[in-house]
Amino acid sequence: MSEKEKFRQICREAGWTGAALAALIVFWLFAGFGLKDSSIEIFHMPLWAVMSSFGVWIFTILLVKCLTSFVFRDMPLDEKEDSHAE
Amino acid sequence: MQNEGNLMSLLPLLLFMSAMIGIGFYVRHKQEQGGSGNFVQQYFIGNHDLGGFVLAMTTVATYSSVSSFVGGPGMAWKIGFGWIYMAVVQVTAIFLVLGIFGKRVALLSRKFNAVTVVDIIRERFRSDFLAGMAAFIIVLFFCGTMTAQFVGGAKLFSTVTGYSYEMGLLLFGLVVVVYTTVGGFRAVALTDTCCAIMMMIGIVLLFSCVLDAGGGYTAIMESIHANHPEMLEPLSAGNMPVGLYLTQWLLVGIFTIALPQSVVRGISYKDTKSLHRAMIIGTVVVGFMNIGVNFTGILAHGVLTGSLESYGGVDYIIPKTIVASMPSYLVGFAIIGPLAASVSTISGLLIVASSAIIKDVYLHQKKKEGKAVPDKKLRFLSMLATAVIGAAVFFIALTPPSLIWIINMFAFGGLETAFFWTLLLGLFWKKANRLGALLSMGGGTLAYCVTQFLGFKIMGLHQIAIGITVSLIFFLVGSYFGKPTEREVLKEFFPEA
Repeated sequence: MSEKEKFRQICREAGWTGAALAALIVFWLFAGFGLKDSSIEIFHMPLWAVMSSFGVWIFTILLVKCLTSFVFRDMPLDEKEDSHAE
Repeated sequence: MQNEGNLMSLLPLLLFMSAMIGIGFYVRHKQEQGGSGNFVQQYFIGNHDLGGFVLAMTTVATYSSVSSFVGGPGMAWKIGFGWIYMAVVQVTAIFLVLGIFGKRVALLSRKFNAVTVVDIIRERFRSDFLAGMAAFIIVLFFCGTMTAQFVGGAKLFSTVTGYSYEMGLLLFGLVVVVYTTVGGFRAVALTDTCCAIMMMIGIVLLFSCVLDAGGGYTAIMESIHANHPEMLEPLSAGNMPVGLYLTQWLLVGIFTIALPQSVVRGISYKDTKSLHRAMIIGTVVVGFMNIGVNFTGILAHGVLTGSLESYGGVDYIIPKTIVASMPSYLVGFAIIGPLAASVSTISGLLIVASSAIIKDVYLHQKKKEGKAVPDKKLRFLSMLATAVIGAAVFFIALTPPSLIWIINMFAFGGLETAFFWTLLLGLFWKKANRLGALLSMGGGTLAYCVTQFLGFKIMGLHQIAIGITVSLIFFLVGSYFGKPTEREVLKEFFPEA
């Protein structure tokens, strides 16, 4: 990968990370405030309490998994191997 | 409160602390054997050597402080599930900083032989004044945060074990200063990993003891349904205002990506595979800790059934829960978790504060004068700087200022205000220039501090909202009116230009 390509890829990754944050905020709003009037209970907890804690956590893990599988790419970090050892 | 000390409860802690010191000396020994390599790179950043697991653990451990283990779950006891809903936004803290800055900082640091975040800021904006200001802000706010960690840890220690506050401070405070001084960043990363693991074990342990002592999960939850129905609402009958949710998103969610102690971890890892792994592992771990510890706080209602006042306030909920729910031979294990949270934050900040003084100020000055510093002297001075900062903070903590908890959050917001736009725009926006960064860091931080001291708020939001906004406006104004960045700098930072 050339320096230019690396830079482009890094910007793409940063952008998608920002998009993931936006998606997470939307999910977070829905999971807590969106579900607060539901009368469903899971393990003696109201649905919103489950979704806004464990739900948000699992959602984020999946989100990050998507990022690292589909958006993030491996790239060499040392441009010149010899300058590394100095 | 217990009055006499319980030696049994000290033993596991003593073992743990000895292991930490052992790691410090082991790392030092290894590095001296390795011999080759640049001392500054080795001591302050561990030679770009971290794998995914250690990178995740050290980032999480530095970020999770003693207050997330003591004050946080105490509040969860009071507020209920709304507190978890609020705390869970911290799952963003790891993947955001590593995803946005991780690779950018890794590549730039290799290009410029940078060891600190300030190094990168100096290269980008070519301003010694800005770099000096950044280093000053880091040292100042870090000392505040570290003091709060010392105080929090020592208070918890004395409440739970019955030994004195000073003894607690001596025990774990000296240990963290010693192993950080001796082993440098590499020791910090390894001990952080042990700390993070101990934090998780501690949470599981306390969680199960609380369930046992409270008569089982179902019984505790039914009692909450019957006696504290407001704990099952997001706004907790007004105890949990919407503004607090928003503040939390800003203060411990989104803007944490600019914390220098987190960003610097982008310099430290080995390869991109490690970074990707760390993003996932870090998210799993930070979520586990936040949900686990606060859930335990809620379930502690099964153990502590009195009023908040009868326990002496939110900060005493977890210590009293530990004492009330655990057999004495386990108390020593339970206390390792929160103390690990405390020492891992201190060590992470201590090494960065020391690097700010040695690398960003001292070495830079020598370089400008054209003087080379012999390796031996550099070694001595680096360790001296770490030890002196550590000792200074330690002595402040011996007679703690009364507003210590406020100082902790204050420092968090101050660092975010100072570094957020300078790093984000500096590294991703070509038009960002020196004047913008100077105004943003100086003006934003000043606005933040002044509004904090006056207690001035807009719409009831934490002053981070003011600081960040002022900082952005200053940045844009400065970038618009100031001289554009030199072409040769842009070429290094933005290969497309």
